[in-house]
Amino acid sequence: MGNLKELLLLTEKGYRDLKKAILACTVTNLSLMLPFGVTIGIFMELLKPFMGEEISWIKMWGYFLAGIGAAVLVFLANKNDYKKTYVTSYNESEATRIRVAEHIRKLPMSFFNSKDLTELTTNMMGDCATTEQVLSRVIPQLLANGISIVIVCIMLSFFEWRLALTVFITVPVAFFVILGSRKVQNRLSESHIQAKLKASDQVQEYFEGIKVIKACGLEGDKFAALDDALRFMKKIAIQMEFVTGIFVTGAQIIVQAGVGLTVFAGTYLLTGGQIELIPLLMFFLIVVRIYGPVLVELTLLPELMYLRLSTKRMRTLISTAIMEGSTEKEIKNFNIEFDKVSFSYNKVNTPEESVIKDFSVSIPAEGITALVGPSGCGKSTVSKLIARFWDVDGGTIKIGGTDIKTLDPEHLMSYMSFVFQDVVLFHDTIYNNIRIGNMEATREQVLKAAEAACCDEFAGNLREGYETMLGENGSTLSGGERQRISIARALLKNAPIVLLDEATASLDPENEVLIQQAISRLIKGKTVIVIAHRLRTVAGADKIIVLNQGRLVEEGTHDTLIAKKGLYEKLYRIQQESMGWSV
Amino acid sequence: MKKDKTNISKPKSGMGRLLELAATKKPLIISSVILSALASIASFIPYIAIYFIVREIMEAYPDFNQLDVKKTVGFGWIAFGGIIGNILLYYAALVCSHLAAFGTLYELKVNFAAYIAKLPLGFHLTEGSGKVRKIMDENIEKVEGFIAHQLPDLVAALVAPVVMTAILMSFDWCFGLAALAGIIAAFIVEFRAYGNANAKTMMDKYQTSLEDMNNASVEYIRGITVVKAFKQTVYSFRRLHETIKNYTSFVIPYTLSWENYMSGFTTIVNNIYLFLIPVGIIIGTRTSDYKAFAITFIFYLLFVPAISSIMLKIMYVSSSGMQIINGVERMDLILNKAPLAETREPKTCKGYDIEFCRVSFSYEEDKENRALADVSFTARQGEITAIVGPSGGGKSTIAHLIPRFYDIAEGSIRIGGVDIREMKFEYLMDKVSFVFQDIYLFKQSITDNIRIGNQNATDSQIIAAAKAAQCHEFIEKLPEKYNTVIGSKGVHLSVGEQQRIVIARAIVKDAPIIVLDEATAFSDPENEYLIQKAFEKLMQNKTVILIAHRLSTIRGANNILVMEKGQLVEQGGHEGLIAQKGRYYHMWNMYTRSLDWKMHSKKEAEIHG
Repeated sequence: MGNLKELLLLTEKGYRDLKKAILACTVTNLSLMLPFGVTIGIFMELLKPFMGEEISWIKMWGYFLAGIGAAVLVFLANKNDYKKTYVTSYNESEATRIRVAEHIRKLPMSFFNSKDLTELTTNMMGDCATTEQVLSRVIPQLLANGISIVIVCIMLSFFEWRLALTVFITVPVAFFVILGSRKVQNRLSESHIQAKLKASDQVQEYFEGIKVIKACGLEGDKFAALDDALRFMKKIAIQMEFVTGIFVTGAQIIVQAGVGLTVFAGTYLLTGGQIELIPLLMFFLIVVRIYGPVLVELTLLPELMYLRLSTKRMRTLISTAIMEGSTEKEIKNFNIEFDKVSFSYNKVNTPEESVIKDFSVSIPAEGITALVGPSGCGKSTVSKLIARFWDVDGGTIKIGGTDIKTLDPEHLMSYMSFVFQDVVLFHDTIYNNIRIGNMEATREQVLKAAEAACCDEFAGNLREGYETMLGENGSTLSGGERQRISIARALLKNAPIVLLDEATASLDPENEVLIQQAISRLIKGKTVIVIAHRLRTVAGADKIIVLNQGRLVEEGTHDTLIAKKGLYEKLYRIQQESMGWSV
Repeated sequence: MKKDKTNISKPKSGMGRLLELAATKKPLIISSVILSALASIASFIPYIAIYFIVREIMEAYPDFNQLDVKKTVGFGWIAFGGIIGNILLYYAALVCSHLAAFGTLYELKVNFAAYIAKLPLGFHLTEGSGKVRKIMDENIEKVEGFIAHQLPDLVAALVAPVVMTAILMSFDWCFGLAALAGIIAAFIVEFRAYGNANAKTMMDKYQTSLEDMNNASVEYIRGITVVKAFKQTVYSFRRLHETIKNYTSFVIPYTLSWENYMSGFTTIVNNIYLFLIPVGIIIGTRTSDYKAFAITFIFYLLFVPAISSIMLKIMYVSSSGMQIINGVERMDLILNKAPLAETREPKTCKGYDIEFCRVSFSYEEDKENRALADVSFTARQGEITAIVGPSGGGKSTIAHLIPRFYDIAEGSIRIGGVDIREMKFEYLMDKVSFVFQDIYLFKQSITDNIRIGNQNATDSQIIAAAKAAQCHEFIEKLPEKYNTVIGSKGVHLSVGEQQRIVIARAIVKDAPIIVLDEATAFSDPENEYLIQKAFEKLMQNKTVILIAHRLSTIRGANNILVMEKGQLVEQGGHEGLIAQKGRYYHMWNMYTRSLDWKMHSKKEAEIHG
C-alpha cells in the first residue's frame, strides 16, 4: 500500500482520502451482500413446507421490509462511496497537476532543450487524467473487490468449506494467468505508449508546419510521417487489445469454470447425503453471482499494469533534479568572468567534442561586449551560460566575483534582460505581454516602456490598442512587432545586464530604424552582451570577442582586430561584400 | 476529398452521427453486433440451467436417490457451456469491433488532418494547436471506445431486455411483470439522469474547461524559457493554476450532480427481487400447487441478479456515450467550417505571368480593416517582382494569397490568365514554390525534409538541390549526413543552415513560380553570402515574387511594388522610383541610414541626426 502513494504521487491528504475511498467502496461491496442475505432468508422460508414445516407469510413480509431497509443501506453506501472516490480523485489529480507544473518551472533550461513540447504536455495533462482515472475507477474498486472477495470467501468456508473450495479454487488460477502474462503485456503497453506519443508528436508537427504542408500539397495521408505514425499506432493498438483480450478472456473462462465445479461437487455431496439442500441452494445462488467482482478484478488488473507504465514518465519528471542556489546573495558589480569554461549540451567523451572549450574571458561592466563568429561557433551558448540556462561542465562563470552556480536561477535572472531572436508571446493582451517584464510596474510605466520600444506605432493602429488580444504565440504579429514587444519587456524590467541578440533584420526598413532606437534606449548605461550578426553594428563596441568552434580566437576592439587581419577581419570583409548583393 | 466518407453531407448529431461514423466498416460492425447479441443471450443460459438443476433436486426432495444425477450434471455442463459461449462470443464480438474501431479511428484522423489543411490559414492562426491536437488525441480517440466497446454493449443491452422479458414472461407472467416493473424503474432513473437538457450544456462546459486547461498547459510549456528569463514563472504558472482550479471546481459538482441517480440506479438494479416478494406472497397464499409455486418463485429469485450485470452495462454505455458524442461534436464543429472551395472544372495554364486584378481582401469579416485594397499588378514570367513596404503594408498578404491560403473577397488573381480559383489545388501547388520567412523543418531526416518539395525526387536530385542551395557541405559534416534527423541529439543547425535546407526544398520542387521572403538577415555573416548564392540558383528563369526587407537587395528587380496600408502606392524600377522622390525614395534614405547604426555604450545612439 505504501508504494501506492509513491506510484500515484499522492499527497498525504490524498493518501488518507484514498484509504477512506477504498473503505467506502468495500462497504458498498459488502452492502450488496445484504439483498443476498434477504434472498437466502426467503429461500429458507419457501423451502419450509418441503421439510414438513409451515411457511410463515408474516415472516415473508418481514423479509420484504428487511429487504427495503437493506436497499436503503445499499443506496446510502453507494452514495457515500461515489462521493468519496470522485472527490478524492479529482482533488488529487488537481494536486498532481499543480505539483507537476510547479516542478516544471523550476527545472533547468537544459531540460526543455531535450524534451519536446508534446511530450511535456502529454506528461502534464495526459498522465494526470490517467491518475484521475486510476484513482476514481481502478484502485478503490480493485482493492475493495479484493477485500470483499476475501471476506466472503472466509464466511463461506465457515459455512461449508468443501463447496467454498469448489467455488474459489479457480480464482487464484485465473490470477496467475493474468500475472503470468505481465511481461508480454508490459512490453505491448510500452510500445503502445510509444506509438501514441509518436502519433501525438506527428499531429503537433503537422499543425505547426501546416503552411509547408499546405504549400507542398501534403494534406492528410500524403504527409507520410503522420500517416505512418497513425498506421503504426493502429497496428499496435489492435495487437495490444487482442493479446490482452486473450489473457483476460482465458482467465474469465477459468474463473467461471467454478460454476460447473460447484454443480458437480454439490450434486455428488447432496446425493451422498453429505450436505443439506439449503446450503446447496445457497451455493447455487452464490456461484452465479460471486464471480462478478472477480471478473472486474481480472479486467482491472491489466489496466493497472498499463497505468503504472504510463505514469512512469510523470514520476521521472517529478524526480528530475532542479537547479538550486541562494536567493539572498546580492550582486554589486557586473564584471563577468569566464574562467576555463567548458560546456556541451550532451554527454561527450573527449573535450574536443564540447561546444565550448577552455573558454576564459572577462566582460567589463557597463560597456558593450560583442560576441562574434561563424554560425555554430558557440556565441549563443556563451550568452545563455551567463544566464545559467545550463550549468557549465568545467570552469566557473563569476559575476561580480560570485560564482553563478551558487545563485538560484530565478534570482540570477532578476539581474538580466534578454532580447533574443525567438520571441515567445502569450495568448493575452499586448499590455499583459509587456507587463511580464515586471509585474509590479504601474500602468504608466508599462505604457512608457511600450512607447520607448516603439510599440505605439503598431499598437496604435489596432482597434483595441494595447488591450488587443494576441493569438496563440502572438501569431497575428510580424517579426518586427514581436521583437519590439520583447524590447519593451526588457525595458520594463530595467535589469543591469542586457543579453541581446542583434537580429534586428528580417524586418522592414522602417521598423529597423525603430528597433534600433529601442535597443539604444535599452542598453544605455547597462552591461551589454550582444550576439552580433551584422558586424558593422558592433564596430563601436567596447570589446569584441571572436569565437570559432567553441574557442576564443581573438579579442579586442574593432580597430585592433581589423589591424590584426585575423578571423574577424575576414568575416567583416565577406559581409561588406554580401551587403551589396542585389537580385 | 476522395475517400471522405466521414465528411458530413447532411448534418447528423448525437447517436445518429456516431452510428454514421461506425458505418464505414459495415461488415465488421454487423458481425460484432450479432456476436455480441448472441453473447448476451448466452449469458442467461447458466441462470436457466441452474434453475433446472434446482428443479430436479426439488422434485426429488427429500429422497435424493430419485435424483437423476446424470441429468443434473448435464445441466451443470450446460451452465458452464453457457458461460464459455458468452465469453467466447463476446471476445469474438470485440475482435470484430476493435478491428472496425481502429480502422475507423485511423481514417477519421487522417481525414481530419487532411480536412484541416484545406481550411483557410486564418483557422490555424486563431485556433491553438493544443486544441486541435486534443481533438485528434482525445476526442476522436474516444470514438474507438464507442465502436469497440459501447456499440456491441449497446446492442447487447438492447437485445438482452427483450430476451429477458421473453424469459421472464414465459415462466409466469405475474412474476414476469413484477420483475419488469423493477427494470422499468431502473430505466426511469437512468432516463432522468441523462435525459435532462442541462446534462448536455454541462457536458459542453466540462469539455471546454478541459480544453482551456490543455491550451493553458501548451502555452505554459512553450513560454517557460521566456518566463524563466523574466522571473515570471509564478505569473504564467498562475494562469495554468487557474485553469486547473477551474476544471476541478467545475468537475466536482458536475460529477456529484449524478450522485443520486447513479446510486439510485445501482440500488434498484441490485434489488429487483424486492419487486418479486409481494407478488410471491400474494400468489403463495392463494396457490393450490405449492411445489410448482415455490419452484417458480425460486427461478425468479435466481434469475433477477442476471439483470443487474446487463443493466450496469447500459448505464456505462449512456454515461460515456454522452462524452463521446460531445467529443465528436467538437470534431464536427471543425469539419463544418467551410474549406476553400475547389473547382469542379479545373483549368490549366500555359504561361506563368501572375496577375492581381483589383484584389481586395481582409482577414476579418469586417470590410473596414482591409489588408489589401484594390491592388492590381502583373508579375511577368522570367522577371523578378519585388514587394517592399512597412510591416502591415500587405507584403505577406500578397504572398499568402497566391497559394490560396485565403480566398479574396473581390477581384481576381490569375496565373497565365487563369483564375487560381479555377485550378485544382494540386495543380496550383505544383506550379508555385514558396520560401517563407518562418522556417519550418520537420523532425525527419534532411533528405525527407528536402523531399517534401517533391515526393518523386530521387536521392541524386536531392543532393543536387542541396548543392545548389549551398547546404551540401554542412550536411556532409553532420553525423549521419543526409540521414541526420532534424532535432535529434547533438544536431544544432543555425538559422541560416535551416534556411538553406528550405531553399533546397524549393529548388527540388522546380516550380515555374517562386514566391519568396528574403529573410537572409537572420543569419550569420558567412551564411548570408551562401544564402544569396542559393537564392540566385533558385530564381533562375522563374516568375519571382520577392518580399524584400533589405532594399539594397532589390535594386536589380525588374519591378518594385511599394505597399502601404494595403494599397499599392508606387511601382517601377529602382532608378525610376528614386527619381520620383516619393515613398520609395524616403524608405531608401531610411534604409541607408539604418546601415550606419552602431551601438554605443556611453551615449544614446543618434540615428536621426
